[in-house]
Amino acid sequence: MMIDLGTSAAWTPLVAAAGPAGLAMTYNTLVVLAGVAAVGFAAGVAGTLALLRRRPLVGDAAAHATLLGVGTAFLLTGRRDLPTLLAGALVSAVAAVGVLVLLRRIARTRDDAATAIVIGVSFGAGLAVVAGITARGLPGSAGLEQFLLGHTAALTARDALLLAAASLGVVVLVAVALKEAVLVAFDAAFAAASGWPVGLIDAALVSLVALMVVVGLPAAGAVLVTALVVIPPVAARQWTNRVGPMLLLAGLFGLAAAVAGVLLSTLRPGLATGPLVVLAAAAICFVSFVVAPERGWLARRLGEADRRRRWTRGRVLGECFALCGDDAATGFERALVIDRAAGDSGSLRRDAGRAWHQLVREGVLERATLRAGGRDFGQESVARGAAVRGAMPQAGRDRWRLSSAGLVQARERRRRIGAWRDVLDAAVENGRDALTLDLPAPEEVLEGVVLAPLAAAWQSAPRAAEDTR
Amino acid sequence: MTAAAAPILEFHDVTVAYGRRPVLWNIDLAIAEPCLFGVIGPNGAGKSTLLKAALGLVPVVGGYVRYFGAPLAGVRGRVGYVPQRETVDWDFPVSVMDVVLMGTYGRLGWLRRPGRRERELARRCLDRVGLGDLAERQIGRLSGGQQQRVFLARALAQEADLYLFDEPLAGVDVRSQEHIFQVLAAIRDEGKLVVVVHHDLRTAAEWFDRVALIDMRLVATGPTADVLTPDNLRRTYAGRVELLEELGRAVAERGRTP
Repeated sequence: MMIDLGTSAAWTPLVAAAGPAGLAMTYNTLVVLAGVAAVGFAAGVAGTLALLRRRPLVGDAAAHATLLGVGTAFLLTGRRDLPTLLAGALVSAVAAVGVLVLLRRIARTRDDAATAIVIGVSFGAGLAVVAGITARGLPGSAGLEQFLLGHTAALTARDALLLAAASLGVVVLVAVALKEAVLVAFDAAFAAASGWPVGLIDAALVSLVALMVVVGLPAAGAVLVTALVVIPPVAARQWTNRVGPMLLLAGLFGLAAAVAGVLLSTLRPGLATGPLVVLAAAAICFVSFVVAPERGWLARRLGEADRRRRWTRGRVLGECFALCGDDAATGFERALVIDRAAGDSGSLRRDAGRAWHQLVREGVLERATLRAGGRDFGQESVARGAAVRGAMPQAGRDRWRLSSAGLVQARERRRRIGAWRDVLDAAVENGRDALTLDLPAPEEVLEGVVLAPLAAAWQSAPRAAEDTR
Repeated sequence: MTAAAAPILEFHDVTVAYGRRPVLWNIDLAIAEPCLFGVIGPNGAGKSTLLKAALGLVPVVGGYVRYFGAPLAGVRGRVGYVPQRETVDWDFPVSVMDVVLMGTYGRLGWLRRPGRRERELARRCLDRVGLGDLAERQIGRLSGGQQQRVFLARALAQEADLYLFDEPLAGVDVRSQEHIFQVLAAIRDEGKLVVVVHHDLRTAAEWFDRVALIDMRLVATGPTADVLTPDNLRRTYAGRVELLEELGRAVAERGRTP
């Protein structure tokens, strides 16, 4: 079709000035880069509000409609300077968003269906118009297709300043109306009940996104500019739980993606910027998904593994304690403890095995044979093991007991479990929220809890003894 | 009627419909005195719709609502609203404090940001609902009862004279329930009207001064003990609750002590 970006003779081309290596920075290149950076920042900021309002696809509808505006503006005026074409794009983008809102209200369609209709129809119309212009070979029509995929190499310094000014305007608008936008995004019903014009605020928000999409056209193109609005906020959300930092981060991510895309596109003449910008944004997003603290995949996996490890350690300790008796007089076998802690679940047995080694390293467990002479600590556990596994273990081997420090730990653990059960039974205020897998001491995390009667209660009536291991 | 004699809240022949089916039908209801007022009825009875209609959040087919004898537009600042908890995304990146501060936005108006006065007010409201320690926590990390109390604190920060609560006790543990009811009663004791959409008959009998039984139409309204009779409950819950007889008796016995 017409995506032959090598023949871009539209606006004063800067490809030559930038050089094939793209490193020979002229004044013009620097200004363009700064303009695109501003666009990226503003796109991330405006996109954050759209995402929080759960309207991430509004930008997509607006973006796909821009081609129609660009083509029509060229047909009507015969001019192809950036301000004229972008003005056309803005009209069609806002119109598309308006149609979207009307479809939602009048036709009572679902949001996603309405968005799909607007995207398809407006983009189709835009392609038809541009194709018609190109086919007729109207003078100077060659630049239009660059709006499809973005091509910053053709920007002049004046164009870039225009884009930067518009971006600055968007950022200022967001900063000024942030309170209202966040209120509506979080709880529209409450906002409406408090007298805020939710419809108007929403209209302003989608118009802002439409404007941002138009401003982003030269950098990313109609098909991909929406990614510049959506991806940076999604990446930013991974790193923070507050709107302010999220706005700033999304802006910076957008800026980085835009600048990276533009720089990469100067490596080869004729390389479209849009795909590179989007790929850069996607890379930032992917990294965020993986390594962000708390929400990131890695942090969640590590946290999960850590929780499993700690939980199993406690469970194994509890089994040892149950086998050795309150005075630690009896020894026990590793195999039996693992059996009781993990049953026949393979992964759980592995975890329990690791927990056992950890307990040994910590000095919680020690070999029963270390105690010179006296009783055979293994007898009882051997008998129990036989009962549990239905097979006679080899007597005399693998006998362990809790060290004195381990005994203290195990006793404390059992005390806490009992105390927490009492806390839950008595529905102590905030009790449910204070209990964590780490099993903190209830009297430390719950103010004003009187545990004494509770402790007495579980000692005198050790209900559900199986569970207190 | 003089302004002083106007009811605090008055529904006049309010009718709401989705399509041709009425959800609320011919509701006439006037609440003259500050009190803890329960709107009781089965699921789908239109209780929440009643509040939304009062606030102009759903279109009415007919009828009107007056606050202090005036339309809502003139007195919005005096009316506080607490939507159902499930209506918002609790993964939203704001802290508890941020949400409570939103209660002050109505008074602040456009563009002005909350300052020290608002922060101090929000903190007092958080203390009142027992969440003073959690001001900086992200709202997603709260229990259901705590989330509901955040909404309650946001309503308190509105400093309204009349409060409309939509199911503030749904999905809330017993402890939080007690706490929330105490705060609601405290608001009432400040001479304000507190209207609560509620589903649980037992706690209703215990806490509300007056109630309205609603099932599409207004079945009965008045002092709680007078309204929650087996006969009225049968007409409200007709065929929907099997244990109705038993429930009605339990409620009648427990009628709120003065």
